[in-house]
Amino acid sequence: MRTVVLLLLGSVGAILGQDVDRSKPPETPPLGPFKLPARAEFALPNGLTVVAVRDERFPLVTARLAFGAGSRFDPKTQPGLAEGVAALLTEGTQGRKSRQIAEEAAEIGGSLSGSATPDALVIAGSALSEYTARLLDLMADVARNASFPADEVALYKQNRKQALLAQRSQSSYLASEKTEEIVFGDHPYARQHPTPESIDALQPEALAQFRDRLLRPNNAVLILIGKLPPQGELRKVLEARFGNWPKRDVPPAPTAPLPEPKRTITLVDRPGSVQADVHVGRLGLTRRDPEFFPLLVGNTVLGGGASSRLFNHIREEKGYAYAVYSYNEAHRDAALFSAAMQVRNEVVEDATRSLLAEMKRMAAEPVTADELSATKNYLSGNFVIRLQSQEALAAQIVNLKTMGLANDYLEMYTTRVRSTEPDQILKVARKVIAPDNSAIVVVGDAQKIKPALEKFGAVQVTPAH
Amino acid sequence: MRCFSTLLAAAVALPCLAADVRVPFEKYKLNNGLRVILSRDTSVPVVSIYVLYGVGARAEEKGRTGFAHLFEHMMFQGSANAPKGMHFKTVESNGGSLNGSTHPDFTDYYETLPANKLAVGLWLEADRMRSLAITQENLDNQKEAVKQERRLNFDNRPYNTAIVDKWPEVAFGNWQSSHSIIGSFEDLNAASVEDVAKFFKTYYAPNNAVLCVVGDLKPAEAKKWIETYFGDIPPQPQPRRPDLAEPADRSPRSEVYHDPHARVPAVIVGYPGPKRRSPDFYALLMADVLLTGGDSSRLQQSLVKGKQSVVQYEANLGWPFSGPADYQDPAVYAVFALHNPGFSGKQIVEQLQEEFDKLGAAPVDAKELERARTFLRAAQIRELQSTMARARLLAQHEYFDGDPGVLSTEIDRALAVTSAQIQAAAKKYLTAGKRAVLTIVPAPQAPAKEGP
Repeated sequence: MRTVVLLLLGSVGAILGQDVDRSKPPETPPLGPFKLPARAEFALPNGLTVVAVRDERFPLVTARLAFGAGSRFDPKTQPGLAEGVAALLTEGTQGRKSRQIAEEAAEIGGSLSGSATPDALVIAGSALSEYTARLLDLMADVARNASFPADEVALYKQNRKQALLAQRSQSSYLASEKTEEIVFGDHPYARQHPTPESIDALQPEALAQFRDRLLRPNNAVLILIGKLPPQGELRKVLEARFGNWPKRDVPPAPTAPLPEPKRTITLVDRPGSVQADVHVGRLGLTRRDPEFFPLLVGNTVLGGGASSRLFNHIREEKGYAYAVYSYNEAHRDAALFSAAMQVRNEVVEDATRSLLAEMKRMAAEPVTADELSATKNYLSGNFVIRLQSQEALAAQIVNLKTMGLANDYLEMYTTRVRSTEPDQILKVARKVIAPDNSAIVVVGDAQKIKPALEKFGAVQVTPAH
Repeated sequence: MRCFSTLLAAAVALPCLAADVRVPFEKYKLNNGLRVILSRDTSVPVVSIYVLYGVGARAEEKGRTGFAHLFEHMMFQGSANAPKGMHFKTVESNGGSLNGSTHPDFTDYYETLPANKLAVGLWLEADRMRSLAITQENLDNQKEAVKQERRLNFDNRPYNTAIVDKWPEVAFGNWQSSHSIIGSFEDLNAASVEDVAKFFKTYYAPNNAVLCVVGDLKPAEAKKWIETYFGDIPPQPQPRRPDLAEPADRSPRSEVYHDPHARVPAVIVGYPGPKRRSPDFYALLMADVLLTGGDSSRLQQSLVKGKQSVVQYEANLGWPFSGPADYQDPAVYAVFALHNPGFSGKQIVEQLQEEFDKLGAAPVDAKELERARTFLRAAQIRELQSTMARARLLAQHEYFDGDPGVLSTEIDRALAVTSAQIQAAAKKYLTAGKRAVLTIVPAPQAPAKEGP
């Protein structure tokens, strides 16, 4: 890490000389400024917000129609409703059969699909840019006129149940599901996944009702990236497809008080597991929280990459785990902070002890100057690298809009990362990273690992689904 | 390949890829045989470095399975001037991302960095090519890491053991191709420091590698750095290529795997594929697009939708380890299908075969073919968006085809395939008589195998 400081102070001339010192990394010049591509934003009279980004590098267009209509809107008894709506929007409209939609998407060199996150329902479309208007035809049709045909709904239910079975055969899925359940309590963020029963109960009427209530222009943002027509023409194209879509009052996002974080130990029994998935989780911070950036930087020092403390101590030095990391999964109104690892059965106790110790250390002593500067570079550099594709930029703008972030969030990202101070990290670590009130969730073979976990307190065992 | 003068090739501006996508590049060779490809794109201030070594799991010897992959881990354990941990640290603390991966016929190492850090990335790659630290301590540590990777990704997950350990045994007759790419615990334990050192000297020589840099670079400056860092790494005798010839007997075969973690049944069917970049190769590539490309594809429409028998599928030329760009014969065109438990594995195999037979029996409707062509064209352009994807593809085409420019001409050959050629290829390759089948049966109660 010392090298970073030297590099930044060094001059570019050295490397070009004949007598190059190959024993040290070369000195390099500072990076020039990078500007995100400009976004034009406007709204149609019915409230549909449009964000357009011109990207002429490739003859492609990428579109996202994002609604404030994620899984948090699912009724308590109907988890999986939003994702069901999202998946079935493209399976038939009043004017097009499922097959026709699929064929038209392929004809324009594109794809069309729906998905749901806790906060948003997103219709994703892509095409060769010469077919932008046809792509928008399709997107408007599925957003406005989906018919949820009975046979398609039945097939969706059948296949979704099989897919759920396959997901539940993965221990990491079980661990995330249980951690969310404990950390978010009664809040709708605790129910992000369907159950076989809730899938069985899906009815076309409920799907259509969800659509009618929430898929409204005034609850949506349309993001377009690519070789786009000039703005005047684009407006006309959009008016023709979305202009007469009536606005309607949309219900507020359901919410519930979040439980106070506290230490519990839950063991999800998965007989036959040769290793254990260990998660140590609690409420984290949303992107709108003033301490979000200190947590982002602190989390990255702890477990955000191959130079992180967890990676170095638990994987490289101790060899306990192949995968070990920490993350702050931020939704619009609440977040999950968790450290996680997959370790072999024999070392569950030692590895968990090490994991907790690293989390505690974040709250006990400030990060070093080297760690801090390296982490800031890492986050800033990766931010730019990740924005190379239209899909990645679209995902960032979807987040920006569906999480209610300030419009300059992306432009300010690097500045905010760079201005983080060690004492800010220490302060937020005491609040969020220190594991005293974190829930420990472990998925593994109870027969083999329960005694190891009992060293940390009383263990509650529940069967895997 | 060694000791030719540098700068053999002049800069080439490529003819345009269909739909106006140009991937310009410049290719030359260092005195030590290192092949270098540079491609400039200043739209984002990042640069991707991709190093391909011409050795993969198929070059392993009996008793040394998993060696290529173990070695990939060793490459991150430090070198003379970049001690253990420094590689990760240097790339990440400079704002970059990195990784490496092991394939049947090559192993690759790559990083993307902010454009001003190109020299640092080149320095790192050169330092490990020149002076990897092969010590007992590093080896022991990485053996454990690989075992842990195996427990995580294979022994504790559904399907992966069937796909990675079992499927090659069913699909191939030659041990070079049929043994496990991740290897056995036993063979990993047996690997010695001497074995690793020999492997490094033999295969990780500049004359057995391709270096590709794509992004916001200044060519003259980049060339100078490359010469400075890589220029005097000594070449080695060109390693022998393994004999991959498949036994002449390709009678159909079928096996069953009981998967302790799977809960949804699955089948894999595969057929020996054509020679790389032969006319049949492009015909089968288009056949694959018709069969599995997008939601309008035949498998989606007739099996997922029509018969409602298949739940999800994956397919590719070279599945599961490669796709059209890095396909190297002998390899297999394979389809993996998770299916509705209301159908038997045998029924699913028959239904898939029926689709392949249909493709052989009747011409493809002009509209369907046109749609598949557009789908493929768009998919290929979309793939080229990141500098890393372009670096990988340019290097792979250099390694497999001796010409990075294939990246831009390849699409035209696929788009020129006719309905008659697709029909002929389906008949020739996708026949029951040449088929290999692996049926994966969920066996949740069976005790899991524990590694030593």
